[in-house]
Amino acid sequence: MRKSGPWLWASALVAYAFLYVPLAIVVVYSFNDSRLNAEWVGFTLDWYRKLAGDGAMIAAAGNSLVIGISASVVSTVLGTMAGVAMHRYRLRVLPLLILAPIAIPEILTGVSLLIFFVMLNVTLGLVSVAIAHITFCIGFVAIVVRARLAGMDETLTEAARDCGASPWNAFRYVTLPLITPGVIAGALMAFTLSIDDFVITFFTAGAGTITLPLQIYSMIKISVTPEVNAVSTLLMLLTLVLIVTAARISPTLLRSTQESTS
Amino acid sequence: MNGKTFALLVAASFALAAPAYAKDELHLYNWNNYIAPETIKRFEDTCHCEVIQTYYSDNDELLAKVAAGAKGYDVMVPTSNAVQTLIRGGQLMAIDKTAIPNLKNIDPAYLNTAFDPGNRYSVPYAMSTTIIGYNDVKMKELGLPTDTWAVIFDPKYLVKVKGRVTVLDSANELFAAALKYLGYSANDVDPKHWNEAAAVIRKAKPYWAAFNASSYIKELTVGNIWLVHGYSNDIFQANQDAEAAHRPFHILQGMPKEGAVLAVDNMVIQKGAPRPDLALKFINFVLVGRNSADLTNLIGSGNPNLDAMKYIKPEILKLPAVFPPKDIQAKLEQLKDLTVAQRRLRNKLWTEIKAAK
Repeated sequence: MRKSGPWLWASALVAYAFLYVPLAIVVVYSFNDSRLNAEWVGFTLDWYRKLAGDGAMIAAAGNSLVIGISASVVSTVLGTMAGVAMHRYRLRVLPLLILAPIAIPEILTGVSLLIFFVMLNVTLGLVSVAIAHITFCIGFVAIVVRARLAGMDETLTEAARDCGASPWNAFRYVTLPLITPGVIAGALMAFTLSIDDFVITFFTAGAGTITLPLQIYSMIKISVTPEVNAVSTLLMLLTLVLIVTAARISPTLLRSTQESTS
Repeated sequence: MNGKTFALLVAASFALAAPAYAKDELHLYNWNNYIAPETIKRFEDTCHCEVIQTYYSDNDELLAKVAAGAKGYDVMVPTSNAVQTLIRGGQLMAIDKTAIPNLKNIDPAYLNTAFDPGNRYSVPYAMSTTIIGYNDVKMKELGLPTDTWAVIFDPKYLVKVKGRVTVLDSANELFAAALKYLGYSANDVDPKHWNEAAAVIRKAKPYWAAFNASSYIKELTVGNIWLVHGYSNDIFQANQDAEAAHRPFHILQGMPKEGAVLAVDNMVIQKGAPRPDLALKFINFVLVGRNSADLTNLIGSGNPNLDAMKYIKPEILKLPAVFPPKDIQAKLEQLKDLTVAQRRLRNKLWTEIKAAK
C-alpha cells in the first residue's frame, strides 16, 4: 500500500464534504420548526407528521415507486439480455440501438416519446411513464452487465457446455450467478434513475399522473416547506437501505475488483 | 429466467401501472397551490366526483405539453397570452355559456379582452399584479417612496438601498416596469423606447443585489432584502411568513402610480377533454362568489368575481395591489406576446443588460 500524503487526505475531505454536506443540511433542516426554513429555529417532527397526512405527496411517492420498480425490473431483464448479446456476438447495430438513448439529450427523448405515444393513441399515465423509463434504463443496465461479462472467465461457460449443459442451463447456472453483482448494480441504477427523472417524466406523464420529482418541482415557486426536506430525507434513507442490502447480497458489488470471478 | 417468467413479470408490472377510470374524475391542470383545498372538497361533494390535479410551474410548460399532443385534461388555468396561443393552435373547446350562468358574477372589466374576444374559450379565474414589495420599517427609516417605479430605477433613491434590492429575472416583466416608469405602455414595441428602457435598467443595475424570480420571498421575510420588483401573490406570501415568524417588520405591497403589469389566469377546457360536462360544472362552481373567495383568502390573489367580495377578508380587500382602485386599474396592462423579431431584439437587449458590469 502506498503511503498517502496529507494532500491526498485534504483533497479527499474536500471532495466528500462537497458531496455530502448539502445532503446533511437537507436532512437537518427537515427537522426545522419554521415553515420558511431559511434559518434554524428549533427541532420538530411536525413536517414528517404533515407528510404522513399529505395525500398528494404520498400518491406521488407511490407512483414513483410503482414506476421505479416496474422500470427497473423490466429494464434489468432486457438490459441483461442486451448486455449478454453484446458481449457474446460481434454485433454492430445492437450496441448502437441500446446505447443511443443514454447519449440522446433527455428533452429530445421526452418530446419524441410524447409525440410517439400521442400518434399511437396511448393514454398517457403510469404506463407511458414506465415505458419511457424502461427505454432509457436498458442502456445503463446493458453497459454494467457487459462490463461484468468482460471480466468473467469465458472458459467456465465453455466447461459447462462441454459437460453437457444446454445453452440455457449454462447461462442459468454458470454465467448468471457470476454476473449477478452486475445485474443487481444495473437494477439499482435503473431504479434510482427512474425515481429521480424529471424531464422525460414531465413529457410522458398524463393528466393526474404525478411523480415525486414532478410534485416537488411544481412546489418550488411558492410552497417549498421543510416537508420537501422531509420527503427527500426519506428518499435518501430508502436509497441507503437499498445500497446496504445490495452490498449484503453481493459483498463485491460496490468494489471494482474482479476477485469474485477468479 | 425463462420466457414465461419474463412475460409474467412484464404483465405484472403493467397491471400494477394500469390506470383506473372507474370513477367520475375531473382532471385539472393547474399551478401548484392555486385552488383552496376546501373548494375542491365542496365541489367533490356536489358533483360526486374526484378532482385530480396535475401541476405546471410555467405557461411555457403547459404550452409545450399541449402542443406536443398531451391529452386528458379537462380544465386548465393558463395566463391570458397563453390562452391566445392555445386558441390559435386550436387546442381549446368553446365554452357553452348557457351551462355557466354564474359568468354574470365576473367584473365586465375583465371580460371580452383582446386575448379572447367575447370569451368564447376562457373565463377569468384569478389574477396578480407585478409591483413593488418592501420592508415597511426599513423604507420608513430611509424615507423612501413606495408608490413609484422610481424607487426601483432611479439612482437618487437606490443609493440608500444599494445591495438590498432585487428585481424579477424576467426580461418581459422588467422591461414592462421600466417602460411604465418612462411613461410608455408596458406593451410598447417601439425600439427607441426599448433602448431608453434598457438604459434605465443598466443605470440601476449596479445598485441591485440580484435578478431573482424565486427566492426573493424568503429574502424579504428574513430581512436580507428590503425592496423588490415582484408578484403581488409572492409579496402577500412573504408578509404572511414574516408575521408567522414574528418579525419586527411587515412586507408590504406598493402599487406604483405609473401603473403595472396585470396577469389574469383563465379557466379553459382542452379540446377533446374526457369530461367536458364536469369541466363546465366545475367552472360554474368556481364562479360562485364564496368558492372564488377561498383562493383569494388563501394566497392573496386578485379576484375578478364581484360576488366574491363579501366573502373576502377585509384586510385583503383593502390591498391596492390585489384590488386596485379604479384610477390605478386603468393603468394596469396585461402583457401581449411579442413577434419573433421583437423577441429577438428584446433578448439581445436583455443579454447586454445581463452582461454589463
